[in-house]
Amino acid sequence: MEVTFVIIDDNKEIEEHPLLFTLEDKFKNVKFYSNPQEGLDYIKNNLDINLIVLLDIEFSKDDKLDGHDLLKEIHNSSSLIPVILWSGINQTNEEFSDFINNRAFGFLSKDCSLEEAMLIVDKAFNNLKNSLDNTIEDWIISNESDKDKPIYFTSSGESYTLNEILKEIRLQTPIGKEFSSKLNSLTIDLLLRKKENL
Amino acid sequence: MVIGTSSKRRERLSPLPHKRKVAGKKGIGRFAVDKLGDKLVLKTQKKNSSDILCLETDWSYYSKLEDSQLKLNFEDEKPFFTDVENKYWYDNGDKEVQGTTLEISQVNEIWTENDINRAFKELSKLVPPNPSKTNAYPFNITIKSPYKDFDNVKVKTQLIDFATKKVELTFDKKKGVQEILQYKKGSLNKIKVPERPCGFLKLTLYYFDQPAKSKYKKHFNSEIDGIKIYRDGIITTPFAEYVADRNKQKDILGIDKRRWSGFFERLSTRDLLGYVEITDENNPDIVESTNRQGFVENEAWEELRRFIIEQIVQLESFFKNAKNVERTKTKSGLGAANQDLKILKREIASVKKEASPKVQEKLRSIEANLGKIQGSVTKSINDYSKLEKESKQQENLFMSLVSLQTYAAMFSHMTKHTLGHILTGAEYFYNNYPNPNLEDRFISISKSIYKKMLKLRKGVDFMLKYAKSDTELEEINLKELIVNLFDNIYVDRLNEEGIRTIVEIKDNLILNYNRKAIEDIFDNLISNSIKALKNNNEKIIKCSSLTSIDEVTILFSDNGIGIKEKDKHRIFDIFYTDTAEEGGAGMGLYMVKTRVEAMQGNIEVIDNEFNPTGATFKITLPFKK
Repeated sequence: MEVTFVIIDDNKEIEEHPLLFTLEDKFKNVKFYSNPQEGLDYIKNNLDINLIVLLDIEFSKDDKLDGHDLLKEIHNSSSLIPVILWSGINQTNEEFSDFINNRAFGFLSKDCSLEEAMLIVDKAFNNLKNSLDNTIEDWIISNESDKDKPIYFTSSGESYTLNEILKEIRLQTPIGKEFSSKLNSLTIDLLLRKKENL
Repeated sequence: MVIGTSSKRRERLSPLPHKRKVAGKKGIGRFAVDKLGDKLVLKTQKKNSSDILCLETDWSYYSKLEDSQLKLNFEDEKPFFTDVENKYWYDNGDKEVQGTTLEISQVNEIWTENDINRAFKELSKLVPPNPSKTNAYPFNITIKSPYKDFDNVKVKTQLIDFATKKVELTFDKKKGVQEILQYKKGSLNKIKVPERPCGFLKLTLYYFDQPAKSKYKKHFNSEIDGIKIYRDGIITTPFAEYVADRNKQKDILGIDKRRWSGFFERLSTRDLLGYVEITDENNPDIVESTNRQGFVENEAWEELRRFIIEQIVQLESFFKNAKNVERTKTKSGLGAANQDLKILKREIASVKKEASPKVQEKLRSIEANLGKIQGSVTKSINDYSKLEKESKQQENLFMSLVSLQTYAAMFSHMTKHTLGHILTGAEYFYNNYPNPNLEDRFISISKSIYKKMLKLRKGVDFMLKYAKSDTELEEINLKELIVNLFDNIYVDRLNEEGIRTIVEIKDNLILNYNRKAIEDIFDNLISNSIKALKNNNEKIIKCSSLTSIDEVTILFSDNGIGIKEKDKHRIFDIFYTDTAEEGGAGMGLYMVKTRVEAMQGNIEVIDNEFNPTGATFKITLPFKK
């Protein structure tokens, strides 16, 4: 699975941080943004690829957005992107509640080691890999012919192919969300009625 | 009684002829009654009518209904609360009597004598302790209980007496001015300032010292428990919520939460009684939160809190000074006593020669006793000086601690980042070296490790100065000191914020003072300026100097947000802060001022160098002879 890491930190020195080098060595695609707005724009324009975000919390006072706002914005655009907070300040409980509400994937302290950091990064990567959209993508890769088969029909009569549904899920459209939730219900139903075994 | 309606809130007064104040909020009555007991009989009778209308409400029935509703499916039809039919009937009564009675039975908890006592005390705080004014909406509360002390007692307003100091602040709406306290040169004055964002208000404050406190407690059998807020004559701050442990009591005004409380002669809610009087008309933006646990967080409430704290700070300054005056008096009193003793001894010596042998013997014994007294007076003077020196040292230590705290926050932030960089850099080497493909990275990482180590070293050096003695004097090149602060210590912060610095000080200007004290002064001024500049596009900090024969004048300026005219009189006050959000504790400028004054110098805010915005501090220090 291909993944792109987006690192947003107003401190330009972070671009040369050994953690970024390590991510590049292991996962190849690493984008660094010292301007939070540019970073956010990149994320919003690339919702159809796999992203993992490392986010600083305290930005310089000139930036209109801080880590908390960014996290909220990212979460509002797509709840599928794991966002790891990477900060030098010690978090108080109050700030953490914000992270829980906006579903931060994890918290890394600026003074943690590569080993500690990679534990959380790998966890985020695996989480992403096992997500519904990536399962569909894996399916398409190994069963190319299923790609354009219509699999979902809405009550208004529209139909969606497997590939189209994948896009809807990644862009977190109402159709995509509806499909995910119905698919989960269907699976549970099938399991309960012993129509299928996992 | 209709449950949960908002009709009460439409008007703040009940209809004519009563025009009573409606204090309740939506649905509150129902909940409060419900908490006391399960069954309520409401009896009401109009004047000149012998009919008493009685309505019985059984709350237990409502809770049963609620329970059963929760068990029903969502789609099922459910009875509504309004479907519950309450029993009502008419009783016969005396035509001369009128009014409403609530009879609550099946009480949830037994009322012990202690509970009644608490209820009595809390109810006595329902209206402000201000006996001079008659309440616009008079009412009485009588407690009848099986307990001897409370078999038939009328609740009286809690009075306040025995205070060491009483302060009353009011306002003049016509002139648009509010009174506030200002401590200046030993006296506490009321000055008039424009209306504050919290609206016009009255504040009555009582301060109690230790003897006054015990007198108050003994006489009223009540605790000294801080400041309460009354709106239109009725208490609004949380009340009737008994907390056995006084440390856990709510401090919604934040009086005890202030940083460094306990140091620097701070007053706490246990030294103060007082009440703030606000009104719907003057303070519409201060809104009680519906759960009655405080106020809605908004600018007006924030300002009210600030207003009260500021007045307390002025009181603190006044009492601190009073203590100092008392000390000086004692010291000079002792000195005078010593002098008197000397004169007495001399006089005795002069009459001794001419006295008879018998008187001489008597005088000798008096002389010996006088010698003893003189010895203990001298010892007292010495002890006193020692004590004074110690407390001065203590205060210096506190000052150091406070500036250390500010520095420690900055230092640990920097250290965390720097250490993280170095640690991961070394780790990257350890994991990947050697690898010809990564050669560029190894070079960049090792360079960065080197740079980061230098940065750490600088931080540690600066930290070390706190370990140094505080009283040593040395020759300081002012220009070097300030350039070092700008170019080494603060360089990261200044670069981060894009601040340009200008230093116009002669190369050979040497001051003979304590280095740390001088560094503290500029440390604080720089961090203040950084905060003040946060919203500027072009950011400048400038430090210049002028010298005359006997003094040096230093101007320290920035082109930031500046100091508002209304704040100029209080910016040097301890714990006054405009930047609590950015971690300001209101210590910085206070410390600057005390440091400067300790050097026999002076600091003031003058018209700013950078127009149109900015602030300029003028520091004058004498050259030591």
